[in-house]
Amino acid sequence: MRVLRRLSQVLVFLVFVFLFLNTEYKDNDVLPYAVNVFLRMDPLVAGAATLAGRAVINLLWPALAVAGITLFFGRFFCGWVCPMGAILDFADASIFRKLKRRVKLPANLPRLKYFILFFLAASSLFTLQMVFLFDPISILIRSLTISIFPGINMAINSLFDALYFTNIHAVTRVSEPVFSFLKNHFLAFEQPQFRLAALVGSIFLLIISAEYFQRRFWCRNLCPLGALLGLLGRFGLTRRRVGDSCISCGKCERDCRMGAIGGDFKSTNASECVECLDCRSICPEKAVHFVGRGRPELLPVNAGRRGVITSLAVGAVAAPIFLSEGYRKVSDPSLIRPPGALSEEKFLDRCTRCGECMRVCTANGLQPALFEAGLSGLWSPILVPRMGYCEFNCTLCGQVCPTGAIKRLSPREKRKTKLGLAEFDRSRCIPWKGESNCIVCEEHCPTPVKAIRLREEQVTTLSGEVIRIKRPYVDENLCVGCGICENKCPLTGHPGIKCTSRGESRAQGAELLTTDEG
Amino acid sequence: MKKFGRRDFIKGAASCSAAAGLNLIEGIDPLGLVSEAFAGTVRPVIAVASNKTPEALTRAAVNAIGGMGKFVKRGEVVVVKPNIGWDRVPAQAANTNPDVVKTVVMMCLEAGAKKVRVFDRPCNDPRRCYYRSGIQGAVESIGNPAAVIEFVDDRKFEILPIKNSTTIPSWSFYKPAFEADKLINVPIAKHHNAARLTMTLKNVMGLLGGNRGNIHHDLDIDIAELNTVVKFNLHILDAVRILTANGPQGGRLRDVKAMNKVMAGTDPVAVDSYGATLFGITGYDVPHVVYAHKLGEGEIDLKKVRVINV
Repeated sequence: MRVLRRLSQVLVFLVFVFLFLNTEYKDNDVLPYAVNVFLRMDPLVAGAATLAGRAVINLLWPALAVAGITLFFGRFFCGWVCPMGAILDFADASIFRKLKRRVKLPANLPRLKYFILFFLAASSLFTLQMVFLFDPISILIRSLTISIFPGINMAINSLFDALYFTNIHAVTRVSEPVFSFLKNHFLAFEQPQFRLAALVGSIFLLIISAEYFQRRFWCRNLCPLGALLGLLGRFGLTRRRVGDSCISCGKCERDCRMGAIGGDFKSTNASECVECLDCRSICPEKAVHFVGRGRPELLPVNAGRRGVITSLAVGAVAAPIFLSEGYRKVSDPSLIRPPGALSEEKFLDRCTRCGECMRVCTANGLQPALFEAGLSGLWSPILVPRMGYCEFNCTLCGQVCPTGAIKRLSPREKRKTKLGLAEFDRSRCIPWKGESNCIVCEEHCPTPVKAIRLREEQVTTLSGEVIRIKRPYVDENLCVGCGICENKCPLTGHPGIKCTSRGESRAQGAELLTTDEG
Repeated sequence: MKKFGRRDFIKGAASCSAAAGLNLIEGIDPLGLVSEAFAGTVRPVIAVASNKTPEALTRAAVNAIGGMGKFVKRGEVVVVKPNIGWDRVPAQAANTNPDVVKTVVMMCLEAGAKKVRVFDRPCNDPRRCYYRSGIQGAVESIGNPAAVIEFVDDRKFEILPIKNSTTIPSWSFYKPAFEADKLINVPIAKHHNAARLTMTLKNVMGLLGGNRGNIHHDLDIDIAELNTVVKFNLHILDAVRILTANGPQGGRLRDVKAMNKVMAGTDPVAVDSYGATLFGITGYDVPHVVYAHKLGEGEIDLKKVRVINV
């Protein structure tokens, strides 16, 4: 039976990787797969976004299904489905295989995950949604998007570049076809680059490194999704039960990756057990069953009332403190949200910082926020036009957002959605300084009637010469704030034209301002 | 591109003398053209095909100046360089007409080309441009592995000097374009606010690397000077639809005008000078065409150009 569980883990992980790799523009304006399905079936994400957003989010029905199945079958998700769990199990079976763990950890450490869960519940209830810090699916996809995948991509590209530049025919004859195969199927179209890549990646690596202390350290002690599923599945039908043939050898207890088995080897902590079935497989007397007759002996939830109440209180207090941050009063002008983003407050209520939108963004323009949206807006997506612009006809970010923080827009709606407005910096822009013509911004401006228009004006240069120059102006009715002007501005350093969130459509309750025609 | 070597001269001279002995019909006189080109002083020739399907236009224009066989020899590698600059669909006339590109590629294959490669360095996301322009689908629909459409490979740029340049002493160029035996330019005729119009001469921009924005300060001079480095063997100007305003990217169908024309020739200045007339102006109104003429890149005065209408 354990074979089935391992097979499930491998298969689900392959599906996860497949969907991750396909979270990308591939000659399709509409993505053919529900690439965000792992987030949408995450009850923690669903709960937090629903609580904080005060809305029923239809997109999240798979989470309801997972919660429902958990009621009947326990915390199977962690053992059979969760891709983070699979990675940790794989790490144990490979990097940490020979490791003898000698560190003794406090017995109450597993309580932490409940504290985190109740903190998140209380803060979400008061509309501060911080689930992104601890949700494993969110952490995993964000880390892959922002740091792991770009890192792998860069390594492989560098390797094949090095081979290519050897200019040895015998080498390139082999390496180039391999490289082009990898490019077509695995690598990014262009090297993705994200701010904070190293920081976000280190958190993921820390989670893996914690396996040094315990198997499934993260799942046992920290994961609030595991805590939630454990509480939900506590009274499920498939709980561990031990028959009379048990000889109390203790093998199962020593081997349990979750520390879910009691000192008598018969009792089980059902909120910890992930039904990996190892104990069933290794039992020399075949005394362990998960289905069939026999009453399971249950250990109580290791949470601690005092701690639970404290964490609820901390969540309730944290909410007003975070929500009164100055950033929420005066928004940073560089806080340019993806097209279709809800109004700022509603956006942050729902956004789980999973990074799906950043992953799919064709021009690599969506980047994790630093402090533009305050501490509670950390890593939420903002458009950084100098890094990449918003492609005029692209609607992918709204298609992958699991919680509807970014609305799904039709191409027509998208082209009319203002992310903000562009403004010239006349002290830097080349024609405005009176140096020469330029018009790169005008050329790239994507609106059907150009939002950047030129007017020929007579200019006296510094040396006293009178010349005629085409000077650019922004028509604010037409500009959609896509940022391509800022992105393509040939000036190094600060650009001559800059986009800000001023005039964004969502500011007026997310209704759409219209441009000339679509 | 290959340099014009001694062998080519002998071959050319041979065909000249062969032409002298033949009495070919005016208008479809390929060998006569060869002799004109060798004389150096004789009028350049362009063909203008009108009012047919895009495929028929392309074939008619190229056949009128001698057929593809005159430019592409058996076993050669050909690069076809359309304009695939923008994330726009064919009806918006921002990229070269996909049927024109497809026909050019097919004609190269028919002439015996060993390999035909199609590429451009777009301004928008390359995948979106290739796909939505219809050009990727058009080339793939030929179904011949010898015809490939490919994305530009960042590793294959090379910095080349631009001799006698007044503004940019050197720039990075895409090597595969130079390594091919023949290079065919297949742009679309469009409005362009900085350059006024963009046709064959400006299409050279797609073979450049680096931050092309830096070329835009003295755009007109730069376009002309870049054309002294990149030499196309044949120019085929798509004017099936032209973009008359809000170029070079367009987007509004009202700015698109159906002209149902395709032009072909070996003199880019002459082709562009004729192309300008489709917009109701002349080559003299387009500064980079004037500069290119001054640099000796071709004939701007249409009175000195033989125009074959088909």
